[in-house]
This record gives sequence, C-alpha cells and structure tokens, in this order.
Amino acid sequence: MKPPVFDYYRAASVDEALDVLDEREGARVIAGGQSLIPLMNLRLARPEALVDIGRLEHLRRVGVVDGSLYLGGLVTHATLCGHPAILRHAPLLAEAASHIGHQAIRERGTIGGSLAHGDPAAELIACCSALGASVYLESSSGCREVPAREFVQGPYSTAASHNEIVTWIRIPLADDRRVGFYEVAPRPGDFARVGAVWCSEPENDKSTVALFGSDCGHMSIELGGDGRAADVLDAVRASGRVQGGLVRVVEAAVKRSMPTEFHE
Amino acid sequence: MIGSNVARVEDPSLLRGEASFVADLIDAGTLHVGFLRSPVAAGRIVRLDLDGALRSPGVIAAIDGDTLSRFAGALPVLHTPDPTFVEATGFGMSVPSVYGLARDRVRFVGEPVAAVVAESRALAEDALERIDLVIDEEEPVVDPRAALDPQSRQVHPETPGNKAAWIRFARGDVTQRGIVVEGRYRIGRHSGVPLECRGVLGAYDARDDRVHLWTSTQIPFLVRRAVCEALGWSEERLRVAVPEVGGGFGPKANIYHEELVVAFLSRRLRARVAWIEDRTEHLLSSAQSRDQFHRTRLTVDGEGRILAYEDEFLVDIGSHNLWVAGVVANTAIHGHGPYRIPAFDIRGTAVVTNKAPTSQYRGAGRPEACFALERTLDLAAARLGIDPIEIRRRNVLTSSDLPYAVGLPYRDGKPIVFDGHDFGATLETAVRLVTESRKRVDENDAGSEDSNPTGVGYAMFIEATGRGPYETARVRLGADGRIWVHSGAASAGQSHKTTLAQIVAEVLSVDLVDVRVVSGDTDLAPDGIGTFASRTAAVAGPAVHRAAEELAKEIRGRAARLLDCRPEDVTFVDGELRDASGDRKISWVDLAEAHLRGGVLSTLPFPDVVERFEPDTVTWVAGTHAAVVEVDADIGRTRVVDYVVVDEGGRAIHPRVVEDQIRGGVAQGIGGVLLEEFEFDSNGQPKSVTLAEYLLPTSLDVPDIQVHHITSPSPLNRLGVKGVGESGTIPVYAAVASAVDAAFQWSIHMDATPISPRSLLAALENDS
Repeated sequence: MKPPVFDYYRAASVDEALDVLDEREGARVIAGGQSLIPLMNLRLARPEALVDIGRLEHLRRVGVVDGSLYLGGLVTHATLCGHPAILRHAPLLAEAASHIGHQAIRERGTIGGSLAHGDPAAELIACCSALGASVYLESSSGCREVPAREFVQGPYSTAASHNEIVTWIRIPLADDRRVGFYEVAPRPGDFARVGAVWCSEPENDKSTVALFGSDCGHMSIELGGDGRAADVLDAVRASGRVQGGLVRVVEAAVKRSMPTEFHE
Repeated sequence: MIGSNVARVEDPSLLRGEASFVADLIDAGTLHVGFLRSPVAAGRIVRLDLDGALRSPGVIAAIDGDTLSRFAGALPVLHTPDPTFVEATGFGMSVPSVYGLARDRVRFVGEPVAAVVAESRALAEDALERIDLVIDEEEPVVDPRAALDPQSRQVHPETPGNKAAWIRFARGDVTQRGIVVEGRYRIGRHSGVPLECRGVLGAYDARDDRVHLWTSTQIPFLVRRAVCEALGWSEERLRVAVPEVGGGFGPKANIYHEELVVAFLSRRLRARVAWIEDRTEHLLSSAQSRDQFHRTRLTVDGEGRILAYEDEFLVDIGSHNLWVAGVVANTAIHGHGPYRIPAFDIRGTAVVTNKAPTSQYRGAGRPEACFALERTLDLAAARLGIDPIEIRRRNVLTSSDLPYAVGLPYRDGKPIVFDGHDFGATLETAVRLVTESRKRVDENDAGSEDSNPTGVGYAMFIEATGRGPYETARVRLGADGRIWVHSGAASAGQSHKTTLAQIVAEVLSVDLVDVRVVSGDTDLAPDGIGTFASRTAAVAGPAVHRAAEELAKEIRGRAARLLDCRPEDVTFVDGELRDASGDRKISWVDLAEAHLRGGVLSTLPFPDVVERFEPDTVTWVAGTHAAVVEVDADIGRTRVVDYVVVDEGGRAIHPRVVEDQIRGGVAQGIGGVLLEEFEFDSNGQPKSVTLAEYLLPTSLDVPDIQVHHITSPSPLNRLGVKGVGESGTIPVYAAVASAVDAAFQWSIHMDATPISPRSLLAALENDS
C-alpha cells in the first residue's frame, strides 16, 4: 500500500519544527517512523505534512545531570539496548527495548516516538511510569514537564497537544532501586499481549508495578516498599480492566517481574 | 549424480540478488494496476461510478465488472474427477461462476470490483479512493454449519443450499460391536503465506498481437488455458512465463481475478501493465485454506484394533474454490490413514460462505483428515489405557500387509493400492530417535530448573503423491553445447533447476553446470500441468528422464557421424562423446558446432525431444512424526522443542532437498497448529489483515528437525521416485496436539487448531 500525497519538511532545529506544527494543523512529527509509516501506508493515518526531526542530533544524547538520567527523544531502542550509561543507570530500559520488534526496527524506533504514539503495548511507557520518569514537551509557548505516569491517558492518547514535541525524558536515579520486567508475547519481538514492570525503591518505601500490553493497556499500581504481587492483583481485579482467563496471565507476568520473595 | 547432494544451481544468482522476481520486471514504462476491493462481505452493487478515478492524476484507464463482462466470461474450474471415482463416491459439485471483476454482487471482503491503470501504484491508489462505490449490504453467511441450514441465505445462486461439493468414501459395514469413541475437531483457516506475494505483469506485443504474461504462479499452462478460455482467445495469443517465485505452497497454484484482468488490460491498452500484490491484499484475497470441521466415530476392540471409522466433515471454502473437488476428495481418501481399517464411512461437504476464496495449501485436505483420525486414535488409546504408540503399532500396515488395496478408486479412477514396504517401521524408528534425542537433552540439562510440563506426541500419515494425468518435458541440445530442459513444472523454490538437471546429467554423463533447466514458460515447452500435489519429482522427473534417454538416442546418431562409428557404439563418458574404443572423442561443444553453418551436420536441426510421462496412478508415501513440546501453563504458551520425522518415501534425487522439503513442511505445520489463523468477525470482516495479526513461525519457533528417510522405490516410474512436497506438513497438527495432551498426562484433549494461549488456558481451566 502507498501513502496518500503529503508535504515533507526536514527541520534543522526544534524551533523550525515547532513553527511548522503551529502553521499546519495537518502536520505530524516523524522520527524513526516505525509506527507512523505503516499507518500511513495502510492509509489509516493521513497527515497532510510530515515534519522530520531526524536530523536534530542533539536529541540523540544520553547523559546524567544532577542526579537524573536524561534521554533525548530521538534515542533509539538499539541505543537503549547497548549504551553504557543506560546499562549502568537504567538497565531496565535495555531489557525492555530488547523486546521491541527486531534489530532493524530498533535501529530506527525512538523512545520519544514510543511515548508520543501511546500504544497500549509499549514497554517503554510502562518503564517510564515505573521509574517515576517525566517527559519534557516543547512547544512554541515554552517547555513543560509531565510525569510519565500521567502522560499516557488511554490507547494512542497522550497529554501532548498537536503542536508539542517530546524532547527529553528524565529518569531520577536511585542507588537502591530494584527492577524487574516480564512480557508475554506470541513470538519474540511481537507486540506484548500482557507485560509487567516492577520497580522498588526501599529507601523511599515505595514500589510500582506498571502493566502494559494490547490485552490490558497501561496501568500503574503504586504500593509501599514491601508491595506484593497479591496487592497488585487485588488492584487489577478491582479496576475491572482485566477479565476472565486474562487474570491468570496478568498474574503470571506480575509474578515473573518480581523476585519470588514478593510473590505472596 | 542422482542421489547426491550437489551444490544447488539456483543459489549463486539468488544470493547475489540477480534473480528476477515478477516485481523486478517492472521498468520505467510499465503502468500500474490498482484494484478496488469490496469493503463488505456480501451485498449488491448499487452504484459504481469510475468518473472520479478517470479524472485522477496519472490515470490512463479504469474498468468495472460490467464492462469486463463484454470481453470476458467466467474462470473455469480446475479439476473434475474421473467418472469412475465419481461413481464410487457419489461425488458431486455445484460450481459458482467466478468473474475477473465482481458483477452485480460482492461475496467477500477484498473481492476485486474495479481496476484502475495509472502511472504509478500510489497514483492508482489515490484514484481508487475517488471511485464512488455504493453497496446495498446483505447479511453475510459466515458460519459454514449455519450456511447449510435451509433458512440460510444463498451465497451464490449456482450453489443451492450453499453446498459446493459432496462426497462419500465408504466401504464395508461400520456398524461393528466394539468400544466407540467420538470426537469433534476443527482445523482453523490458514494458508501458505509466501514470502513473495503474488504479481502479474502483462507485456503486449503489437506486431504479433500477443500478450506475454509474467505471473508468480505454480501452474503456467493452466493459467494460459483458463485465461484464454475466459477471454475467448486462442492459446496462441497468450504466452505465460514464470519468473523467479518466492514461495508458492498451493495458493499460487490457482487462477486469479488479477491474472485475467491484467492480461485483458495489457492487450486492450496495448501496454506493459503490472499488478504487484501487497501484503494486505494477500491476506485479504489470496486463496486461504484448511477451515474444516470433523465429527469422528471410531470403533475398536478391547485391544485397540480398529473395527470401523466414520468421519463426517465440512470444509468452509469461502466464496469459491476452483479446486474444491480436490480438497474434498483428498480429505475423504486420506481419512483412511496408514492402518488396517476394515470398514469406513467418510462423508464430506464443501460449503460456500462470504469469506475469502480458498484453494489447495500444502497437504490440501490431508492434514485435516489426519488430524481427525489421529486425534480420535489418541482418544481411543486414552479410553482403553493403551499407550498411543502401542495403539498405532497394533493397527499400522506393515510388510505383511503391503502393498495394501483399500478397495476404492483414487481420484484418477484407479484402484487405491498403498505401494509401500513397511509403514510400521517408521513408527518404531521415530520412537527410537525421539527417545534418544530426549535422553541427550536430559543429560545436558541435568540440574536445570525448568519445570514446564513437556510431552511427546506421535502422528502417522499417508500421502498420495505424483498425481497425473501427465507431465511434459522437452530436452534439447543447445547451440552452446549445453543441454536445455523445459518442462511443465514451475518451481517456486523447490530446487527443480538442480534436481531435474541431475537426472539429465546422469543419463548423458555431463556436468551439472552443462544442463540448464528453464521451466514454467508456455513458449518453451509444448504443454504441461504444473507444480503442486507433490508431483514434480514423481511425474516431471520421469518425463525429463524419458526425454533425456530419447535425446541420447538422437545424439548417438549424430555423434556417430562425427566419430565415424555406429550409433550403438557411441558412449557418454565424463562430459564427452566417445567411440567404443575410446580413442576418438568429441566434446558436446564440438557436436553443437557441427550443427551450425558450415558444419557437417548443418542440414539437421538441433536434437530436440519432447516426451510425456503418464503415471499409472499415484504413488504412496507414509511415515511418523514425533513432536516434543514444552508448555508454559501459566501463560498458555506452547513451544515445540524437538521434532523427528521418519518417512518411507521414494528414491531421493537429492537427499538434502528431500529432507529440507520435509523441514519446510514441518515449519508450516507448526505455524498452522500454534500460530496462524485467518479470523473473521460475524459480519465477515477479516481481522487478520497484517502480519501483526496473522502470525508466521520464525526461526525461533521451529526447533532442529531430525529427518530420517527410508527409501522404498516407487514401482510406478523407472527412477523409483515418489513425491515429497507436502508430507512434512500433513501430520504436524496431530503430533503437536498429541504432545500437548501428553504434557498434561492426557487430562486434556486439544481438538482445535490453532492451539493458542487462550484455547490452551481454557482447556486447562475446564480440566481443573
């Protein structure tokens, strides 16, 4: 399938990109294109114009500043899998990214794109929620910071407005943090059906389990430092979002994301 | 040469990217066809206005079903069984008319309704969106069981009661006293989704008023015949040629709307016109398959010996199946299995529904029959407390039974006789091999914490291969001194360029590189049937063999004149032609050059022989598969961790090709039993339209497959060859399902495919 005709802008700066977004209501940002291009080829998405931010190299940087790890929105999944700073400070992202599609997709897909797209199966969204990360959105009126937990509001629906770009993701560092990840997908690399990310910060006496997957969507459950799988499942059942046989699968994913001492 | 694992002739050009698939034949001057496809499963076309498309940028032409009907009739059905078979089985069929573009009514989502020709595919798609199509929707018929209800709407006026075909394969009295087990089974709808989608390119030759049609097909001669019949053309007007094909598996052994329309448009517009299928079109409208329901009833004695077997089955063929006779016949006949079954009654019906059309897909009805029989046998074993291996051991045909006459004719009207040696031996060998393999794994894994349940399942199969009516081969000496081979076969990746060359190379004692196989072109061979039904090695092979031997006779006569000896003294040795003493010799190039201008033989045409091989009937292959699965019961995921195939087949021209054909078949079977399904909702809307929904097995889903081939030469051709294209797939469904049951100590009975996490979890829930 071929996409319908569209205009194409290659932005040399964030400001240039924002100008186009302000000017043209039918314009959309494209970075790696791994979600957007298939939708356009299937003619399910029909942007009048694409604003290509792929040349904004400064948004590919990874670095630690003032106790937080900053990731530019254009950091690719492949980078997440292997960058030394990620492996050191946020190995959860490396683990999660390794489940995204296949090598070719990971070389182009970006963390900013994953967040902006808001797919219920997106691993990185759940990781950012669990890590207590925040998302920086830039528009021509300025920059704002949104907690990752509040960023995705529903399937393919985020807090970002049409004229905002995801420029940075900030992950607060924590020395005592323990993490876990488990995903249920039909085949390696497939979209997750059900997944769980566990993040525990005993010093702050809190832990979070963030669910993801096409069968259950994004859901963040916050518990005390000693939060158990059973508590998570109580919350899941109470939410009514998971029914029937799926509960068993969610239970397995949650337990497998946590060390056994937290199961009961 | 025959029997050796030579390096494949196909590989160098494929690996260097030099091979031409149909899409590679597109040049700057080629126009592109886009098809407007029905968005609904059933309805009457109320308005179809092409104006918007005709005014769209870059559009050269547009056509609808009404206009096409002035030039084209229906596509012919591809198989009608022999009268003897029809008589013995009460076979009948009602064939609906299939047109290149929908006339009046649409019958499945994806059915071509109009075609647009434009300067590019993108412009064609833009134009398609500007066509005004209004359909008065009707209630689609989606469930084949409901379709048989007298109250159900009819999908086609020409198929009363939605029954497209019916058959009864029965012998003996099935009302035996014994222990009865009954089962209900479903094999889900899926198909052989090839790596390369379909594609058709028509190039018009104005001087000769001919169309040269390149199409990614397995049946070029049948395409020519069908398209010419529908368009009222002499077969002289159409040349059909097959480029490199990236997988066929059965769906490409079919005649399609797009082939008819592109051929027509090419001549009508006097242009080079191409349509390349994209993946969504493929998943919507390329022929689907399987989709059967079975109700079985097996009567055994106290020892598990079969006294009678009954099976009543339905095939949901979607809106049409040009091979419907083949599917029902194959399913019915192969319900027999490689066992002694004194009485059997297998009754089947093919039902039309408002879903995508179907065709043959690797196994072509046999996997479904095998699943029903093998699962029922497992049920009987469980009921009697007998090991599944043992119950098969007690029933399988062994050397004292074979050859075994079933007592009914095959589709070709000839009596069915299983021409094997010892089917039971395949069972014993499979058990031994998988047990050894499991012991090695246990030794290596000692200390592993893996606690997932594992199970071993067995399934046996029988397969009719090498179906006629015939295949044609033309073998000739080329001006370059090489031997050129043209046959009716058309490779979609089955190594014909190598295996057919091996036959000729052996007969003429030449190097493999000096035999060039160029098949699938209706201008190069006078006639042919095609590649499907596991028939190329067993039918085209002997045809090529015969042609090579006849060519050898002619060559002897020519060479004798150059060697100054008698023709009968000419010998073929090491790529040369020699006299009896060996003192005088010439090369093949010498021989060829002698036919050229100024040469001694220049008044004679180059030696060029056409032979046809008509097999007496089909030749039978049988065997046993053993699958080992590991199940993650909490999330319902099944992994096949080990797999053994033991088959008794014919002489292998190229043993590695035989083994890998089997491996490919197993991989597709694993896909079908665990992953693949074309799902439709209650409105007949397809839900599996991208590869994100239709899941194909990857290299991570398929384990190493051990293949042990036992040779039992076919008595039906001088090469002793039997077919091998499909057997790898036939028993996989049953073997894997059996293994899953075994993983839970037979407390569950998986009776439907695909065995998805959802269905497995439901079965485990029901059990607990």
